[in-house]
Amino acid sequence: MKEELIASITKLVVEKLSQEKTQSEPEVDLWSKQPKNLPLEAAAGQPEGQVRFKPLQMQEANGKQTVKPLSQKGEFSSPEQEKKEQQLEELRKKTPSRIAVGRAGSRPKTDTWLKFRFDHAAAVDAVYGEVSPAVLESLDLFSVQTKVKDKEEYIRRPDRGRQLSDEAKAIIKQRCQSSPAVQIVISNGLSAKAIETNIEDVYLSLQQSLNNLGIQTGTTFYVDKGRVALMDEIGDLLTPDVVVMLIGERPGLVSAESLSAYLCYKPHKGVLEAERMVVSNIHKGGIPPVEAGAYLGTVVQKILKYEASGVSLVKKEN
Amino acid sequence: MKSSFSRVETLLSAGIDIGTSTTKLVISQFSLMNMAGDTHVPRIEITDKEILYRSPIYRTPLVSPTVIDLKAVDQIVKNEYAKAGIEPGQIKTGAVIITGETATKQNAAEMVHHLSDAAGEFLVATAGPDLEGIIAAKGSGAYEYAKKTGKVTANIDIGGGTANIAVYESSRLAGTCTLHIGGRLIEFEAGKVKSISSPVQKLINQEGWTLQTGDSSDHPDIQKVTSWMAELIVKVLRKQTSPRDQVLILGHEPQWDADIEVIVVSGGVSECMYQFEDPAASPAMYDDIGVILARSIQQAAGLQWYEWRRPDETVRATVLGAGTQTTNISGATIQVESSELPQKNLPVFEVSFEQDVAVGLRKLQGSTEAAVAMYDPGKEGQNFVWYLTDMPYLKFKDIQSIAGALLACQELKPDSSQPLIIVLQSDHAKVLGQTLQALKPAQSILCVDQIEVEHGDYMDIGQMLQSGVVPVVIKTLTFHS
Repeated sequence: MKEELIASITKLVVEKLSQEKTQSEPEVDLWSKQPKNLPLEAAAGQPEGQVRFKPLQMQEANGKQTVKPLSQKGEFSSPEQEKKEQQLEELRKKTPSRIAVGRAGSRPKTDTWLKFRFDHAAAVDAVYGEVSPAVLESLDLFSVQTKVKDKEEYIRRPDRGRQLSDEAKAIIKQRCQSSPAVQIVISNGLSAKAIETNIEDVYLSLQQSLNNLGIQTGTTFYVDKGRVALMDEIGDLLTPDVVVMLIGERPGLVSAESLSAYLCYKPHKGVLEAERMVVSNIHKGGIPPVEAGAYLGTVVQKILKYEASGVSLVKKEN
Repeated sequence: MKSSFSRVETLLSAGIDIGTSTTKLVISQFSLMNMAGDTHVPRIEITDKEILYRSPIYRTPLVSPTVIDLKAVDQIVKNEYAKAGIEPGQIKTGAVIITGETATKQNAAEMVHHLSDAAGEFLVATAGPDLEGIIAAKGSGAYEYAKKTGKVTANIDIGGGTANIAVYESSRLAGTCTLHIGGRLIEFEAGKVKSISSPVQKLINQEGWTLQTGDSSDHPDIQKVTSWMAELIVKVLRKQTSPRDQVLILGHEPQWDADIEVIVVSGGVSECMYQFEDPAASPAMYDDIGVILARSIQQAAGLQWYEWRRPDETVRATVLGAGTQTTNISGATIQVESSELPQKNLPVFEVSFEQDVAVGLRKLQGSTEAAVAMYDPGKEGQNFVWYLTDMPYLKFKDIQSIAGALLACQELKPDSSQPLIIVLQSDHAKVLGQTLQALKPAQSILCVDQIEVEHGDYMDIGQMLQSGVVPVVIKTLTFHS
């Protein structure tokens, strides 16, 4: 009896131990959660707060230091080396990618590594940042919410970013002109910084362009934490001919402030993705925001003329 | 990534080279395509250049040694178009290049007038010696080679009257130089010297040689002249010219910094070295020092030091350059009043913003007066281009103030009803054009971007193409008198 008891207890303990073992295994981190969690805490503390972006000069200063010292005269042991450096400089000018940055042993140099970390941090900041109310006020935009409550939910549940909250629907119905030729919608999407930096130029230039072309625009508004397909619901609600959605792009390591414009002719729930079209890469280093706005006006004109967008537009045009 | 939907648009280009000795013509077809991805703003580029037709090499018809027989040139062009099966109206771009000793202002002006009827409503360019050298370097393949290898490459295009040197360091033009060296500078007839051109006569006097017209064509001084010319090329390439060399230097001294590594010899004289052409197909006959000059250059000890690269073209380098390399394509987002196109011979007035909008606005204020004084001193209403460069990052408000300033400038022109023409270095033409339109709807505007020109250049803007771009030909009009 005692032996049986001991045996069963031993079995229990062994089982428990082995269970614990199997439980602890999946907890091994496959990727570092650190950088993801850090800004989240900051954002959760002040959900309405603004994230301050670091001055760009710092980034430039870093970038220059990484590359420039080599090209200064007098440091080369031979003219061949100087020529090689000139050729590398030519290549560097052709791309924003981190090419020909040198190395220290098998690792990147400290400057390169810091620049990389800085750009990564800027990308994270862009996702978790908020658009300052002053920017929206200056353009006379009112603001509504999607069904998303916070950034974590926004990232995990793209479907909720495609739906307006009930309150938002009511406000839009009440404040916006119904059935305009063009409805412009602005959303931070995955980069608040894209909106902060570029929206004024793109929006004013687009407005002017549409004005020149005699195309009437509805009441522009801002949607916090929206996704592109949110335009379908807006299409059902306001029945515009064209929706132009200006939304922050997923930030990369070259630019964290790139903006995209998605356009669709009469979007509605269930519209094919192929009907949407996009003009991307709108930022300082891509297509200049002011020029993008001017170009978008002519794209809208074309959509209205052919009464189609996306693949259908291309088919009709041919 | 190429746009899967983009269509290929084709464009016919003509190149006509009227040189001291020879005249030739090429017709080529450019393919234009949107090279930006589907999600980007379009970027139209020339993706392919195919040569459809090459004319035989004709002797340049002359009325006098420096005056071109325009009617005969017209006839050549008409015949060649007919042989190629092309109507003048199909030609949308291209260039007529008048080179060598015939490149005088009188010939050029008359040619512009004459050829636009016979050769099509296309863009007519006339060359100065610097541009000649640049075009030849592009036609001979020297430019491509320098760009590909990064080597400092000099193209030496030796024709009948002049040798044009253009030096490329990668794709950057490092400098040019023009010399009185050419095959036709001493001409023979029936085994005797028929004529000696004046620069060579000066050289003979300077060196104390005795060669004169009527002497035998194997007079020993002829060899001395051609050797002297070959030596001069060596000295110019090394930038070691002395005052005695001035006699055969036309215009400025060599001004490149880089040390030349590779030389490419093109032009009629290089044909004597490489024999690319079928002698039966080209009826032009030469009885001059071309062959002797070619031999002297090949034997010059100082030139052996360089890497010699075979040219892609010899005598046709310039015409191919003119036909295929002079057309630029504007940015795809531009604002142009189609009814105002084409525009020809527009002088360029550059206003550099020096990366500061305030500086640019201040400079614009005085620019009309300066530009009119420079290009239209008689106030006859010669239109010109404002070329805005070195712009900083522009906000919408900056665009508005620049547009306002430009409209104010336009009012100060002698003829303010003519189109307001602006060329921008950066990609801002559409927004600036639209802003100008918004501010003054009645003003006709041509606002084009992503073109590299220089202060003092002349440019032609062609008809808008289906892709929404315009072809632009840039000319450097510097003539030797």
